[in-house]
Amino acid sequence: MRRRRRIKPFMAVRYALLILGLVVTVIPMFYMVISSLKSNKSTFSYPPQLFPNPHEITLENYVYIFRHVSFLKYLGNTLFTALMTVLLSAVISSVLAYSFARFKFPGKSLFYGMIISVMLIPGLAMIIPQFEMAVRFGMVNHLWGVILFYSAWVTPFSTFLLKGYIEDNIPRELDEAIYMDGGSIYSVYLFVIMPMASPAIAAISILNYLFPFEELGWSQTILKSDEIRTLPVAITMFFQAHNRTDWGYVFAMTSLSMVPVVLFYLALQKYFISGLSSGSIKG
Amino acid sequence: MSNMAGKRSVWRTDWRLYTLLLPGLIFVAIFTFYPIGKMLAMSFFDWRIGYRQTSEFVGLENYSQVLADPIALRALVNTLMYAVVTVPLQMALGLIVALLINGITKFSVTFRLAYYFPVITSWVVVALLFRYIFSNQGLLNYFLADVLHVVGEPVGWLSSRVPALVVAMFLGIWKGIGWNMVIFLAALQAVPKEYYEASSIDGLNGRQQFFRITLPSIRGTLLFALVMLCIGAFNTYTPIAVLTGGNPAHQTEMVLTWMYFQTFNVTGKMGYSAALSIIITLIITSITVILFRTLARKGE
Repeated sequence: MRRRRRIKPFMAVRYALLILGLVVTVIPMFYMVISSLKSNKSTFSYPPQLFPNPHEITLENYVYIFRHVSFLKYLGNTLFTALMTVLLSAVISSVLAYSFARFKFPGKSLFYGMIISVMLIPGLAMIIPQFEMAVRFGMVNHLWGVILFYSAWVTPFSTFLLKGYIEDNIPRELDEAIYMDGGSIYSVYLFVIMPMASPAIAAISILNYLFPFEELGWSQTILKSDEIRTLPVAITMFFQAHNRTDWGYVFAMTSLSMVPVVLFYLALQKYFISGLSSGSIKG
Repeated sequence: MSNMAGKRSVWRTDWRLYTLLLPGLIFVAIFTFYPIGKMLAMSFFDWRIGYRQTSEFVGLENYSQVLADPIALRALVNTLMYAVVTVPLQMALGLIVALLINGITKFSVTFRLAYYFPVITSWVVVALLFRYIFSNQGLLNYFLADVLHVVGEPVGWLSSRVPALVVAMFLGIWKGIGWNMVIFLAALQAVPKEYYEASSIDGLNGRQQFFRITLPSIRGTLLFALVMLCIGAFNTYTPIAVLTGGNPAHQTEMVLTWMYFQTFNVTGKMGYSAALSIIITLIITSITVILFRTLARKGE
């Protein structure tokens, strides 16, 4: 009885601190959605309002976005880029991770070391030679110019996470069982590694899916013409083209662009957590 | 017998392994190894990409240009400041939130979900949002000037170097806490409960438990977060590109925004940019090696 009483105030403090932190965390996002629902003009009037009058709430910014901006086109481009990046990097990194986790071959540690050191180099730091390549291969102004490079940028980290997961969580006995039945390494890859590593593959795929929704430097370099832009480029260009002031329209776009991300997050949240932690605990 | 079977299976799968390995390796080689090598080469040339232009070998000229360039050095200092401020604060706050969530019984999943939310939001979106909130007529100045009356005039958050960097740091920390929280929480939950039970019997209080059990147990995760966040700090491009564009007068450039500017807004600076990239890479590599050398060994 006494013990209970001593613990309870602690709990209350914990909840209070967590809620306080949550307010700071969520207020900016709340403010963005609220601002997207005010008329575009009132978004740069002073004083700004965190809680506007309910009768000031309007959908006119969203109407404007759908009338004057090819938002769905940008969304489609982003989704296509995201899905192709996810697919390519999942295939490449799972194959590499399987090879590095299970086999010995000449140059293995050298190649693995090289792949891991790519993790240290910011993707944008390689922009000059990569841009030259993109020009030479005719990939400027093509979504594939973004997809191929994104896949290459995210593959090292994905390979690193998957290799660790395969080594720690998939017993070699399962491989042996396939060999006993006369299966090849392809069968091991398809029937042991892929199904058993699916939580880790889901986790890296989520990270890789989010990447095209936020990457700006490379995409704005490659995607020059309007109709092939992804959302980060389209939003930035819209913002600049509108004198950096049409906040109502901008926030309608940013709020809408968050919808596919949030839905995806809520649907797959348990993989976010499990996958992130699988690579980190081991260190 | 088993040894022979093992050898046989390795031999049997040998050529097939290369059909798996080589396509992936070639892909990575074309899109990352090759550009890195090319960049290293370019950094020693006055690199020209125009028609019928030849690139002249200039040795270390590009490197000395970078190191003598006050803007490049300022960008480097800005990036280092950003790393030094945001990395420890993100980790500390993330750890505090993780400890709080680990200590509650109800709604822990809800809190975890909500705190992770800024992590999944796009950098472009949140940087625009912060630009609005921190603008001269923005929400923050309104609160500071007209609600709390702590400042007389609106603060020009984004129009001079230090305040703008503070905003960028605040954004980085705000967006990064959730990631740290999630991986620290997973690490905390992996610490065996028996450790705490045993130490309670030994009479350790909460603070002693934290320093003698919790921190040593999650050491690997702390190191992982530290390394990943340092790499991430040097990767900062979008927040500055959107918040300030490196302005006013290149005061707020990060190394990547400055490199981008030199590459695409100034002609004939390809070699300079390549040298800057190589310098960034060397710095990140040394930081990572130093962190692993000094921190990883103690745990073994």
